[in-house]
Amino acid sequence: MVGASEAARMERLESQVENGGGGAWEYLCLVRKLKARRSNKVLKHGLSILNDHRARSKLGAEEWTLYEQVAFAAMDCQQHDVAKDCIAVLSKQFPGSIRIGRVEGMLLESKGAWAEAEKVYARLLDDSPLDQIIHKRKVAMAKAQGDLSAAVKFLNKYLEIFMADHDAWRELAEIYVSLQMYKQAAFCYEELILSQPTVPPYHLAYAEVLYTIGGLENLQTAKKYYASTVALTGGKNTRALYGVCSCSVAIRQLTKGRNKEEKEMSDLQTLAAEALQRDYKQRAPNKLPLLMSMLKNMKLNS
Amino acid sequence: MAEDLVLDTAIRDWVLVPLSVVMVLIGVLRYFVSKLMRSHQAPDLKVVKEGQVILRARNLRAASGFIPAKSFRSRKTYFTNEENGLLHVPKGQSQNAQAQMFSDPNLAMDMMKKNLSMIIPQTLTFAWVNFFFSGFVAAKIPFPLTQRFRGMLQNGIDLSTVDVSYVSSRSWYFLNLFGLRGLFSLILGEENAMDDTQRMMQMSGFGFDPSRSLSAEKDGIDIIQHDWALPKMEKRAEDALKKLLK
Repeated sequence: MVGASEAARMERLESQVENGGGGAWEYLCLVRKLKARRSNKVLKHGLSILNDHRARSKLGAEEWTLYEQVAFAAMDCQQHDVAKDCIAVLSKQFPGSIRIGRVEGMLLESKGAWAEAEKVYARLLDDSPLDQIIHKRKVAMAKAQGDLSAAVKFLNKYLEIFMADHDAWRELAEIYVSLQMYKQAAFCYEELILSQPTVPPYHLAYAEVLYTIGGLENLQTAKKYYASTVALTGGKNTRALYGVCSCSVAIRQLTKGRNKEEKEMSDLQTLAAEALQRDYKQRAPNKLPLLMSMLKNMKLNS
Repeated sequence: MAEDLVLDTAIRDWVLVPLSVVMVLIGVLRYFVSKLMRSHQAPDLKVVKEGQVILRARNLRAASGFIPAKSFRSRKTYFTNEENGLLHVPKGQSQNAQAQMFSDPNLAMDMMKKNLSMIIPQTLTFAWVNFFFSGFVAAKIPFPLTQRFRGMLQNGIDLSTVDVSYVSSRSWYFLNLFGLRGLFSLILGEENAMDDTQRMMQMSGFGFDPSRSLSAEKDGIDIIQHDWALPKMEKRAEDALKKLLK
């Protein structure tokens, strides 16, 4: 997870390097640590370091990490020759290494040569069947080719072994949502909430999936999860506030005639509506009329 | 009799300091030798999977209050089911881990190497200390001790009237043995700060028995009562909003 202070530092370094001040190497290290995706900048500054003999020799052993980083950036910017040169230098230094083999596979991927990349990965997996990154590359390839069901199959196989990898669960949840397989997506989000219960986006996403599936019980659960998102973010998450209101409306529609639960829930809804109004007044006052009419409709529909 | 013996500063210069220096050097040497001798153990699929299962089961136990009761129940059965639950280990298999440890040649070799790299320097250093540095008082412990410690701490000193606080160099050796961890963490980096106590503990607890941890997790999950935390969250959301709107 990117910490706010480190992200700010990276932005500062980026503007500094862009405007000709020093600090390129520090910037590249920070980008690598935070796994940010700034490929064109990394490419430009990385190449300037690598092409300069003195700067390169100053790096010592880190030179090879820089080659790898620049190779990735070049692939992202579709500069295949640059990437190929970097890989050639690396494979001369480390022949037969699995890590270099991975980079080669990624180059084939970025060129669009799916079959060859698949062959390379299959060969690497024979050597080290428990390499997590290669498994994930296979999933990424399937996804890039648009074959979502194959991606799902690969991910499931991966998760059978590495079931504590929450990034993989998140990816699987998103693919399920795009395939409209909401029940499975709900399961994945539950896994995510189990592993990281205090992270609001997972509660929010789970609530949305439940709301989409529908049905009274799911709507009530969804409302609870929207509420927990509100609690975790201190009421600042607009989407959760909207979610609370929409859930209340939907529940009220489904329970027309059974009014025992109405009185308890409406407190949360009125508070959410008020918070929304205040938020819009502060940040988007010209959209306030839209909000007011929507809220009026919701109250009228009860 | 509590008379104060005056100890020659030469003792400090020629006994205490060289002994510490030698032990530090031996520790560093041992670290490098172990790095050279470490054989790369390819991770076993089954072991990795079991590790991950345990992590997932632990997450389930810790955060069970955050998911609906139905999901919790289905996960509980998934893990603890008698027939094919993930955590269920059939009786016959649980005893095999120890036997497997010994029969698998790689593991046995690794253990032997670890043991050797620990026993040999210790024995040699101890013998060296005993040979060169025995028979005189080396240091004074700042706090008083009972007479029982006499045998342990005053080994070379054959006078029974000397106060137990005056110890021989053997106790200085033991002090260094147990205490150099802080120094090693400075020199060798945080993770390699293992001094001999930890190695000894590692030696004795070598049976990484996955089946035991699996059944421990299974019992843990069986016990848990599902306490759904979400209704309380609604209340907290209301309070948060009220505070926001004030």
